[in-house]
Amino acid sequence: MTMETTAAPQAATPNRSFLRDNPSVMWFIGLLGVFTVIVTVLSEGMGAGVISTNLVKILGMTLCLCLIAIAMDVVWGYCGILSLGHFAFFGLGGYAIGMWLMYARTEIVIRDNLAQGAIPATEQEVAEAVASQIFGVVGSSDLPLIWTFAGSLPAQLALVVLVPGLLALLFGWLAFRSRVTGVYLSILTQAMTLALSLYLFQNDTGLRGNNGLSGLQNIPGALDVPQAIISVWFFWASAVALGLGYLLFAWVVSGKFGSVIRAIRDNEARVRFLGYNVDGYKLFVFTITAVVAGIAGALYYPQAGIINPAEIAPIASIYLAVWVAIGGRGRLYGAVIGAAFVSLLSSWLTGGGAPNVDLGLFRIVWTDWWLVLLGLGFVAVTLFFPKGIGGLFDYLVRKKP
Amino acid sequence: MLGHATAQDASGSPLQDVLQTVQADVANPSRSTVPAVLGALLAADAPGTVDFLRAWSDREVYERPDDGLFFYARAAGDDLTLIDIDNGAEIATVGTRDVNQIRPNAGVRREIGAALVAFELTHPDPDRRIAALDAAARSPEPDQIAAIQAARATETDPAIADRMDRLIALLVARFDQDSATRIAAIEALRGDVSTPARSVLNQLLQTRADFAPTLPEDVNVALVKTPGEEITLAAAYEVLVAAGLAPAAPGRNAIRDALRANVVDGAVGGVPVHQLDNDASRIVAYQALQDAGTLPPLVTEADVAEAVAQYVFFDVYLEPDAAVTAAAAAAQAATTTKVALFQFLSLSFDALSLASIFFLAAIGLAITFGVMRVINMAHGEFIMMGAYTGYVVQTIIPNYTASLAVALPLAFAVTFLAGVVMERLVIRHLYTRPLETLLATFGISIALQQLAKNIFGTQARPLTAPDWLAGAIQINDLVSVAAVRVGIFVMAGLFLLLLLYILNRTRLGLEVRAVTQNPGMAASMGINPDRINMLTFGLGSGIAGVAGVAIGLVAQVTSEMGANYIVQSFMTVVVGGVGSVFGTLAGAALIGSLQKGIEWFNPTNTLAAQTYMVLFIILFIQFRPKGIVALKGRAAGD
Repeated sequence: MTMETTAAPQAATPNRSFLRDNPSVMWFIGLLGVFTVIVTVLSEGMGAGVISTNLVKILGMTLCLCLIAIAMDVVWGYCGILSLGHFAFFGLGGYAIGMWLMYARTEIVIRDNLAQGAIPATEQEVAEAVASQIFGVVGSSDLPLIWTFAGSLPAQLALVVLVPGLLALLFGWLAFRSRVTGVYLSILTQAMTLALSLYLFQNDTGLRGNNGLSGLQNIPGALDVPQAIISVWFFWASAVALGLGYLLFAWVVSGKFGSVIRAIRDNEARVRFLGYNVDGYKLFVFTITAVVAGIAGALYYPQAGIINPAEIAPIASIYLAVWVAIGGRGRLYGAVIGAAFVSLLSSWLTGGGAPNVDLGLFRIVWTDWWLVLLGLGFVAVTLFFPKGIGGLFDYLVRKKP
Repeated sequence: MLGHATAQDASGSPLQDVLQTVQADVANPSRSTVPAVLGALLAADAPGTVDFLRAWSDREVYERPDDGLFFYARAAGDDLTLIDIDNGAEIATVGTRDVNQIRPNAGVRREIGAALVAFELTHPDPDRRIAALDAAARSPEPDQIAAIQAARATETDPAIADRMDRLIALLVARFDQDSATRIAAIEALRGDVSTPARSVLNQLLQTRADFAPTLPEDVNVALVKTPGEEITLAAAYEVLVAAGLAPAAPGRNAIRDALRANVVDGAVGGVPVHQLDNDASRIVAYQALQDAGTLPPLVTEADVAEAVAQYVFFDVYLEPDAAVTAAAAAAQAATTTKVALFQFLSLSFDALSLASIFFLAAIGLAITFGVMRVINMAHGEFIMMGAYTGYVVQTIIPNYTASLAVALPLAFAVTFLAGVVMERLVIRHLYTRPLETLLATFGISIALQQLAKNIFGTQARPLTAPDWLAGAIQINDLVSVAAVRVGIFVMAGLFLLLLLYILNRTRLGLEVRAVTQNPGMAASMGINPDRINMLTFGLGSGIAGVAGVAIGLVAQVTSEMGANYIVQSFMTVVVGGVGSVFGTLAGAALIGSLQKGIEWFNPTNTLAAQTYMVLFIILFIQFRPKGIVALKGRAAGD
């Protein structure tokens, strides 16, 4: 297959020529910067107020989805591992940060309440009150063991990276060493996702069952700051994360490393016979993309405000693959375009924003027919446009002298 | 009035006539006279005797002093409407003073009740006898023993006689005066897994918790509880506090509240308020107040231990006879083993039923995956399509049996066609790109799911089983199997045989196996792989449709029902080994029994069972990546 965007096989490429060899990176970072400035200037919290706070949040969340989409593109489009589990890593990142957000905010509220009493509360009383406040909804008042570090932001930030990273490392090591490949691997990753979501759905596993974690939009330490401002902060953070993630992955997939993982995609056995440690390469790609997915999730859910196990259900990871396929596999900007296009179109059509189409005999109500359209459109893309939307850029580039 | 006329007509009022022969004893019943009256009434066996006795006992019979006749009555304002006891006709409305209500005392009523039981137990109609036994088993009383023993002597139906024997054993075990007789009866209950037998043993072994300074001699002690082992120190102390034998220990909340109530000038007991944010300084403050006599003393752990040490804590059997409880405990232990065995049997049936559902759902997938290396994510939606076909047929054909007979082949036909169309339009173009088939079929899956939602709505549609499949097959009180699950098991078995026949005994099967092993070689031998692929895909999809009808009978038909089974189906195929019928069978059996087995450890939590099952499968794949039954040939190459 010839899907490579970056044709730079020379070894030991200095950093300056990396950017020169990958003009799309500069283009992307530039466009992202311009977009960020425009949104900030037009936002309700910091600028003209043309873009509502809600829309800023949706755009910020879309940037996070773009970030996980490029991670998915690296693992699937470049390395050929169709992982149906990356949204689980996304969710784990969200849960890790959500635990801190929820615990710290509840603790502030509880301390305020207890300070009303005649004598100050003991630490134990505070902890018990926080636990019963958070877990009363699932009929418990004890803080589970996994919430041990929930009061500490640095610890939970570390968990955002560590939990998805270690899970991916363990799972990938088990799967790759026993040479599980192709559709088997896809099914196995889907099984992992299913197990995780079923686990989280239980009330007694310590993450509030199907209630999930809520109120995540309130940032402890900034409870007085209006959402309009916070939404812009998170938008910036998401944009920076996306830019850095793009840079990282563009660097990973260019050069010798990129050539090897593309070779693994195209013929794994041959690469193995050439003496490369295929399992190590795959494990590295699988783990690093899982970590990035976790970071994307940690930025996404404070903007969404709520996370529950349904977010992790296997279907979410399949949608992720759909975005990447529609955007165009094997090119990072393709994944970004796919994720942004499909998720924004989806929320526009299902949110009731789109006008219904009257065909005389039949009336197309978009909330009912959008999924049918998406499904069939997806089949069409797979059949007729394997390069996705990103493939259109090939025509543009080719017209240049 | 006509009613009055018939009441006086001797031939038209048999019950009244019989009653008049013992008029005085019915009107003024006493314990000494009532057996004779009952004997006379039951011997005459006039229609309505039983109802009369019941009403008599319930104080619903009235006597008219003028002529001594008996009536039922209904309140009509402050007055009473008299009702003829033979034909139920309304006679007249009279004041409450014009008639005497007959009020039998407790002893008489017990006699009547026993006579009624005896009468019902010897009734010619077997159903009446069984109903009487059921009633007696539900509310056991000591005086039922004699009645049932009497009835047993004349019982001819062996099944009912058997039930009577068992009921007598139960009653004797619980109520008899003689300890040896009871123990013998309890021995007879050993190994009896029926619910009444087990509940008798449970009742005999009921205990209550008690305590005393020394262990009393005259009670039947079940268990002596050592504080710290069978009972916690805190719980033992609570018992003493509840009995008023020890002062209540103030908990952390009580200490806090006490301190809060005693804040003086920003300090409590000399400790400044702002320092009271830990337990140590709170206790210091409390002790200062305690020394000043303001608060009751703290109870330390030493105090608790000392108070508890003065008493013995134990459980006492409600049954005073130690020999009886010992025999009951032994019998219960023996029964427990048997109960566990039957529960295991019941669990096995559940597992078998689940396995047959998994098998039906997965076998179509296994065929398409095995032959074509195509993962069909829309397989679940074919299951759904089959189930909705069944639902539509049922709305057209009201007879459930007939509609099921139509729905099964129709569902096969509909999904067979859908499968062939999908293969021709989409999958055929993607044979070289297996991962993309997965995605394309997923696209079809979400489109079909939404389409079903648009057509049938989001609420669940019923697919009703015919009456002969609706009940349960009851083996004993512990094991019962729903008939519809047996039906699905049979259906899974039939499909297994059918598939084995098609694959091993027909030309099509031969060609399918050839394409499975080596499509290139098969093509050069004159087999058209294109046609085989199409037919295989249709066959796999058709079976999914039939599975949909079967699943619809036990689960709800919704647009998402396919998605609920798809992951399990994949697991079944992957665990079993791709492309092998027996592999799928083994996979379904493994996953079904595994899920039920894990559920058994934690029956309230199906989610946990599924979680651990998926984890097990992930590990299983580590050790047998090609599944239980690994296919050789092309499978090795991917």
